[in-house]
Amino acid sequence: VPPTQFCARVVENRPLSGGYFVLDLKGDATADAPLSSVTPGQFVMLRPSAWDRDLLNPRAFSVLDVDGDDGFSVLLKAYGRGTTRMQKMGLGERVVVTGPLGRGFSPPRAGGPTQLLVAGGVGLPPLYLQARRAHAAGLHDRIEILYGGRDRDDLVLLGELEGYSARLHLATEDGSVGTRGFVTAPLVSRLAAAKAAGEAVEILSCGPTPMLRAVRHIGLEHGVPTFLCLEEQMACGFGVCLGCAVPVHGDKPYRYCCTDGPVFDAREVRWS
Amino acid sequence: VSAPRPTRSIDPASIDLSARFGAIDLPHPVMTASGCFAYGQQFAPFFDLRELAGLSTKGISPNPRQGNPLPRICETASGMLNSIGLENVGCDAFLSEKLPWLHDLGISVWVNFFGEDMDTYVECARRLDAGRGRGISVLEMNISCPNIKKGGIEFGTVPEVARELTRRCVEATRIPIVVKLSPNASDNVAMAQAVREAGAVGVSLINTITGMAIDVRTRRPRIATTYGGLSGPAIKPIALRIVHQVHRALPDFPICGMGGIASGEDALEFLLAGASCLQVGTANFAEPIAAVRVKNELRALMAELGLGSVAEVVGALEPLDPEPAFVAGKESP
Repeated sequence: VPPTQFCARVVENRPLSGGYFVLDLKGDATADAPLSSVTPGQFVMLRPSAWDRDLLNPRAFSVLDVDGDDGFSVLLKAYGRGTTRMQKMGLGERVVVTGPLGRGFSPPRAGGPTQLLVAGGVGLPPLYLQARRAHAAGLHDRIEILYGGRDRDDLVLLGELEGYSARLHLATEDGSVGTRGFVTAPLVSRLAAAKAAGEAVEILSCGPTPMLRAVRHIGLEHGVPTFLCLEEQMACGFGVCLGCAVPVHGDKPYRYCCTDGPVFDAREVRWS
Repeated sequence: VSAPRPTRSIDPASIDLSARFGAIDLPHPVMTASGCFAYGQQFAPFFDLRELAGLSTKGISPNPRQGNPLPRICETASGMLNSIGLENVGCDAFLSEKLPWLHDLGISVWVNFFGEDMDTYVECARRLDAGRGRGISVLEMNISCPNIKKGGIEFGTVPEVARELTRRCVEATRIPIVVKLSPNASDNVAMAQAVREAGAVGVSLINTITGMAIDVRTRRPRIATTYGGLSGPAIKPIALRIVHQVHRALPDFPICGMGGIASGEDALEFLLAGASCLQVGTANFAEPIAAVRVKNELRALMAELGLGSVAEVVGALEPLDPEPAFVAGKESP
C-alpha cells in the first residue's frame, strides 16, 4: 500500500501508567483505509494539525493497533517537546498522518519457529500488534513475549499481552514485577532452554537502542535469526531527508530506517 | 500619515502566476529545493508532480557518495539541522536511472551539482551536459554546502574563487548555470556579482546556515559532524534579507529565493524582496504536498490583495514612510 497523507481525529487519549498514553485515532472519510492492512513494525508520521511553528516535523510512531478501515492507535510516552504537546491532545483534535511507512515483521507460521518478541519501553507497539495478529490467526502458540521496563509502571497493556501470547515473561530493573534486571536475562535462559530442547526460535525485538544492541549480540551469539525494529531521527519518513541512515554491512555502508526498515536482520546491522 | 494601501480583491482565476527567471519561463514561481525532494519519485504517491513549476534534485557529484555517520539530523526551534553529507547516486546513475523519469514530467528540472575541488566541479558540469535536451533545464551549482569537509568553504565565501569556479563550469557545459550561494559569505552582493560576471544566469538564495545543537544530558553534539546546516522557518528572515540585498544591488539578475518558505505569505514576501521564483525545501518533509499548497495559497493571497500577476510583485517592496525629524521643544501642529 503506497503511503498517503491524511487527517485523523483523536477519538480517545488514554493515559496509562508510567507516563505512557494511547491515542486512538480515526481517519477522515476521505482517506481510503490506508492503514487497514498495516504490518506490525510499519509506522506513521504524526503531528497535531495545530502544531506550532517552533515544532517543525512530525514524529514517527509504530502502529499499535488497527480498528476497522479508518481507526488506529499509537502508544506514546511524553519525552520531548513534541510528545509532551501530544499528551495534552483532546477529543476531536486533528492530527496529520503520513503512512503506512516502512516494512514490518514477518508473521509467524503454523509449525514454524516460535517467535520470541523482546520488547522494551516505547518499543512495545510492533510486538503488541504482532502478537495480536498472531492470536487472531490462531497462532498465539507461536508467540512468546519478553517485556522489560524500569519498574511495574513502565510495563503497560499487560492484560492484552497475556491473552495474545503463549507466555509472557516480564522483567523490571527494580524487581517490582517479574524477573529483576534487564529483559535480556530471561531471553538468554529461554534461548538455552530452546537449544536444549532442539526447539526452533527466532527473535523479534523493538525497544531502546542499548537494549537492541544487547539483543542483537545475544541473538548472533546463539545463532538465532534475529530481527530488530530500529528507531532513528526522521524528518520525513519516506526516503527523502536521508536522516535515518542505519549503518549496515554489505554493498553499501548505509540503508534507511524509513524505507529499507525499520525492521532489519541483526546480522546486517553494523554495530560494534 | 499615509493610508493603508487600498486593496480590492480580484478573482483568483484571473491571476497570472507565470514567472520568468531570466530566459526561463515557468507556469508559476513555486519549485522544490535540493536535498528536500530526493529525485522526485518518492513524492509521486502523494501528488502529481506536474503541479510544480520545477524541482531541484539532490546534489550530484561525479561519483556516488555515501554520506555521513549518525546522527545526521536534529530538530531545533522552528527549524532543523542536517549533516547528510551530500549522499547521492553520482552523475552516471543520475543520467541513466533518474533523469528519464524527470524528463517525462515536463517540468523545469534543475540539477544541483558539486565537486570536491575545482576540477571535479568542472568534470561534473561536463558530464551532466549529456543531459541537455534530455530533461535538464538548469545546472544549479552548489558552492555553499557546509557538509563538505575541506576547501569547499572558499568556493562559497571568496568572490574571486567563486568567479573562477563558475567561469570554468560555464565553459564546460551548454546548460545554463545558476549558482546556489552560501549565506555564510560576508558579502553576498560581491559573490552574486562575481558569479554573474563569470556567466551564471542567476543565483539561488539561500542554502542552509551553519549551526549547532548540544544534548546537555550526554554533553555531546546532536549531530555527528558537530556542525550542520540549519533550515526551515528559523532562517527565513535571513534569507529574505539576503535576497533583498542582492536584488537591490543587481536588479536585473534573476534570483531563485528559498529559506523556510512554508506558506503563500512566505512566498509573497520572497517575491516582493526580489526573487523571480521560489523553492520550497524543509516543508516537504512534514507535508509532501507543501509546494502545491504554497502555490495555491499564493494565488489566494494575491487575489485578496488585488495583485494581478507575479511579474508585478517581483521586487515591488515599498519603502516605509520617513519619520519627521525630532526637534527638541517643538510642539505638535
